Amino acid sequence: MAESVRAELFARLREQETSVAPEQIARALAALGHAQPARATHTDLHTAFLANVLANKGTVELARDRGAAVQAIGRYLYQRFRTHKLVAGNDPRLAAMPWRDGGVLPRFGAAENGDSAALSYARLGVAETGAIVTYTGRANPGRNNLLPEDHLVLINREDVVSTLEDAWARIRHDTAASGWPRGIQFIAGPSSTADVEAQLVMGAHGPRRWHVILVGDTPAEVLAQASGGVGATS
Amino acid sequence: MKLASNEFMQASSAALLEEDKAQRRSLIGQFLPLARDAAASAYGDFDGLRAHLKRVRRHTMAHLSHYLEQFEEAAVQHGNQVHFVADAEQLNSKVLSICQAHSARRVAKGKSMVTEETGLNELLLKAGLDVLETDLGEYIIQQAGETPSHIVGPALHKSLAEIRQLFLDKHTLGDRDLETVSEVVEEARGVLREKFLAADVGIIGANALIAEHGTSMLVTNEGNGDLCANLPPVLIVCTTFERVLPRAEDAMALQRLLVRSATGQPQTCYTSFYTGPRREDDVDGPLETHIILLDNRRSDILASDYSEMLDCIRCGACLNHCPIYIGVGGHAYGWVYPGPMGSVLTPLLTSLEQAHHLPNACTSCGRCAEVCPANIPLPDLLRDLRQDESVQQLKPARWRNGLRLHAWLLRHPGLYRNLTGWTMSVLGLLGKRRGAFRRLPFAGGWTGQRDFPAPEGGGTFMRQYAARRRRGGKRG
Repeated sequence: MAESVRAELFARLREQETSVAPEQIARALAALGHAQPARATHTDLHTAFLANVLANKGTVELARDRGAAVQAIGRYLYQRFRTHKLVAGNDPRLAAMPWRDGGVLPRFGAAENGDSAALSYARLGVAETGAIVTYTGRANPGRNNLLPEDHLVLINREDVVSTLEDAWARIRHDTAASGWPRGIQFIAGPSSTADVEAQLVMGAHGPRRWHVILVGDTPAEVLAQASGGVGATS
Repeated sequence: MKLASNEFMQASSAALLEEDKAQRRSLIGQFLPLARDAAASAYGDFDGLRAHLKRVRRHTMAHLSHYLEQFEEAAVQHGNQVHFVADAEQLNSKVLSICQAHSARRVAKGKSMVTEETGLNELLLKAGLDVLETDLGEYIIQQAGETPSHIVGPALHKSLAEIRQLFLDKHTLGDRDLETVSEVVEEARGVLREKFLAADVGIIGANALIAEHGTSMLVTNEGNGDLCANLPPVLIVCTTFERVLPRAEDAMALQRLLVRSATGQPQTCYTSFYTGPRREDDVDGPLETHIILLDNRRSDILASDYSEMLDCIRCGACLNHCPIYIGVGGHAYGWVYPGPMGSVLTPLLTSLEQAHHLPNACTSCGRCAEVCPANIPLPDLLRDLRQDESVQQLKPARWRNGLRLHAWLLRHPGLYRNLTGWTMSVLGLLGKRRGAFRRLPFAGGWTGQRDFPAPEGGGTFMRQYAARRRRGGKRG
């Protein structure tokens, strides 16, 4: 059945198309170029990124280095859940962090139902939309982004790119080396719904809170500018 | 889904009388256009973005066999099984046979208008499977035994009180208040979480297919589609063949338009690209993935004068901006797709004979075309369908004769002007005392809902215009 349906469909399509060499199609496609990104909210890349994370109902924090990041995670877990427990994927970057210094007890692997917090080390951040990007795999199982109550994300300063097109250029570069992951997830906020009376509620099916920690030497003014006096940091 | 578009006239009259629901609809009609406008202007050159996607779509459609083949090849290389199906019945039985091959009992579904179109749930339930919609809006209407009233917010027609009562009836969770929207969402979260974890098969739709990587894009806020795509051991993506776009960047252009037009966000919480089954080193994800590509008359539409309708990205902006949709709501349209896009799609996907009222559900105000992110000339397509309706003689003889008479009159301008001038004078005289008519012969449809204002002195536009010209005023 399926084979004949496929053949018929392709025959119909080809009947209507003028036959053109693939190289010519590729040239015509390249000539179309790409879309314009959204107007930037700030001229500084990291300010724009953090401002958009906040607009996406996330919370943000700065950490000078990995040590400071561990401390920040420890404080977050204690304040939110009075716990030191955390789930994280088998990301070598996460394995090498000084967990004991921050009193954090990570479990490395896939999140389970009932886990309060999971940590991802993002591959990319996108300033245009305030999204972070993760690839599924051992370093970050897909369910770690979805099952826990809170999703914590580390993102290196140098991994924040300007536009969605820049993000795909990086993804192409990464996957050329390591092959296509099963899933690529752009995450921009805690899970939310407006399906009842058009009222926005966080924590629809996935994480109720989304906390992004920008790792690297970022001046404190950047965060102040991004918050615009809203004071939405954790 | 059962087609009831032939009852549009009765259903819309009935809908106008539901005060509570009409009020909720009017809020949608005020709030969502504001959100869309704010997001479009914050973006920058939104019209430029629309034009860009249009060019990409035209290019893709001109070489669709090339891109579809590229998609299929890449998808198969990534370990997907790709199936082409011709109609609703074939899609449904394909899904059922995949479920049966895995002895599946529980199915978790993300939001998919395509499976609403094919009536998939009904077949799976009949075969004894436990099928659950997991998008909160879809879940609510599934529990209520209703159909979506909006393609983005399927349960926006229901009040909190109705949903509360529904949950109290359907969930055996003992005494609880359930008085706020948050409490309702929280309860659904708890109930559905168990279902996600227990599901044998996940079913999702796709917002776009990317030819170069054989991957499909899924755009959601709730993350329910992602849970369906990540937890169950089998994943089935149900979509249509013309969703294909050449490059990931093209899907980004589409996503920029889609989200701003639908909800006024710059990006949804989750935008995911799924490329196949679990990789060798992976610790989670489905073991088997299927992509089902439905035709269901779309190749006919592609070959017709209505091919631009296939550019629709299902954002719902035309619904939110349509005075008819906001007036009568989605259910009156009698099928899966309501509003302007539905009034074009329904006759094309079913038959004009069964749905010929829908292209008439239009005031030709043009707002839908103004906001359509895919730049579809919806009022033109609706007019063309009305033309087809007339050619196929689907209107009652009384209408057709009336239109014929009207057309004849328009071709005799002198007679037309005299007749309208005379009618106006008479109506003006008769209505002078009250200033309006409560009832008029042949105009019961108008005066049933409101008074008809009596013409004031001065005569018709043409008569006044002629008089001014005679007075020699060039301004006239």
